[in-house]
Amino acid sequence: MVLTPDFDSRPVISFQHVWKRYPSGTEALRDINLVVPEGDFVFLVGPSGAGKSTLVRLLIREEKPTKGKIFVEGVELGRMKRRKLPYYRRKIGLVFQDFKLLPNLTVYENVAFALRVLGEPDRLVQSRAAEALDTVGLAGKEQTYPSNLSGGEQQRVAIARALVHAPRMIIADEPTGNLDPATAWEIMQLFLRINSRGATVVMATHNREIVDLLRRRVVAIDAGQIARDDRSGRYHDDVSKPQIRAQ
Amino acid sequence: MMMFRNLRFALNSAWQSFWRNLAVSLAAVLSITLILILAGVNLLVGHALSQVLDGFRDKVSVISINVADDTPLASVYSYQTQLSADPRVASVRFITKDEALANFAKDPNNAVLAQQLDGNPLDAKLEVRVRNLSDVASIDAVARQWSGVDPTNPTNYQGDFVRRMLQLSQWLGIAGVGLLAILVVVSVVIVMNTIRTAVYHRRKEIEVMKLVGATEWFVRGPFVIEGVMTGLIAASIALSLLVIAYPPAVAQFRSDIAFIPLSYDPTFLASLARDLLLGGALLGAVGSYIGVRRFVRL
Repeated sequence: MVLTPDFDSRPVISFQHVWKRYPSGTEALRDINLVVPEGDFVFLVGPSGAGKSTLVRLLIREEKPTKGKIFVEGVELGRMKRRKLPYYRRKIGLVFQDFKLLPNLTVYENVAFALRVLGEPDRLVQSRAAEALDTVGLAGKEQTYPSNLSGGEQQRVAIARALVHAPRMIIADEPTGNLDPATAWEIMQLFLRINSRGATVVMATHNREIVDLLRRRVVAIDAGQIARDDRSGRYHDDVSKPQIRAQ
Repeated sequence: MMMFRNLRFALNSAWQSFWRNLAVSLAAVLSITLILILAGVNLLVGHALSQVLDGFRDKVSVISINVADDTPLASVYSYQTQLSADPRVASVRFITKDEALANFAKDPNNAVLAQQLDGNPLDAKLEVRVRNLSDVASIDAVARQWSGVDPTNPTNYQGDFVRRMLQLSQWLGIAGVGLLAILVVVSVVIVMNTIRTAVYHRRKEIEVMKLVGATEWFVRGPFVIEGVMTGLIAASIALSLLVIAYPPAVAQFRSDIAFIPLSYDPTFLASLARDLLLGGALLGAVGSYIGVRRFVRL
């Protein structure tokens, strides 16, 4: 079942004429306008270097836009004070291609880490971490170290960590990039389940099969611009890229 | 409650990280230890010198005012009272002619001369001890104005020696402070770089902490605590070595250069311990704080 988000509802994310130029002079994004309503599932697709990662970096406030405004839940990220930033990050769950697990911590400790950082009490940490590991199907592997897990299992740990503080929004940058197709599909199922519980998901990906199969919203980025925004799109459109580039 | 949990987290992770990165931790301990030993030696030498100077100062901060033979005793006493009231003066002692002679004769060097003396050529004197070495000259000037002073030989004090002593102690003070300042700068740089190496090993952990929403102080806390731990361990090692080496060093010095009255002062060790532990903890903390800064900034 495909849930259709309510596009009239309050937007969770809103990009308004956003430009990003790096100090090196590279213009990574040009005049991006994008609205993501609550509960949406958005694929960001496009060739390498198109600006997907820059968009993700702006969204988690690792970078600030050169021009334009980005609102998340009504707060303008560019104006957010540095000391407020940690509290903003606590509202989002992040998943990366390279998992970003801490190798010297066990599976349980890696997941619990996200709650310890928030200063949550032990009992809550334990129950929430166990719950999150159960959700991603890793119950029983708590005391294993990441190096003893497969790629898919490591990504599950990362997802459990992203989920454990119950964020309203999940941002994933190529979460299936290092995984074989079968495992990638399992991981995608997890994201769908998280989305069906109400969390907004924004995912940058190269995984054509999955995008084409799921038929969710697809925002195609090319040369720093939004080339296409389809409510239930495919990885490539038949109105092929050269024409879009020519605009 | 949350503060307590955060503190516990910081202490735990500082302790774990110290042992996990033992090689880097030991490098930091070693460099801080060496610096603190240098600082400790500087403090000890400074203290020994000031002890020696105090000894000299005690001897030279006395000026004797020679009393003319025909001065009435009442006038001497009243002048003594007047001097005692002067804020610059610590004490005034009246030495009669007889006492002066007895003192003179007591010195074995003067034995032969004393026997040949006819009568008592020595003046009675007022021995004035000043509080501050630099006041000797002004007291001298005042005393020369007094009507009862012996006009042929008014006062005795080691003026030139006094001036040089003052200069010397000033220069030594400046040199000591300068040396300490250089040590502090050098050590902060060394500690900062050592800690930065340690932090660099853990940049991934820091990155993850920041991504899951840790505040800057939450990230920094464990490193600063680890720095303090490192500093305290280094200070303890440096202190032990100094405590062991201090008495034999003093003994050796005294047998080599006997005329400088250097002495072993165990009471100074308490203040040395306080300075080194405090210095070590502070160095570790500041070094960590600066070292981790670049990686922590969001």
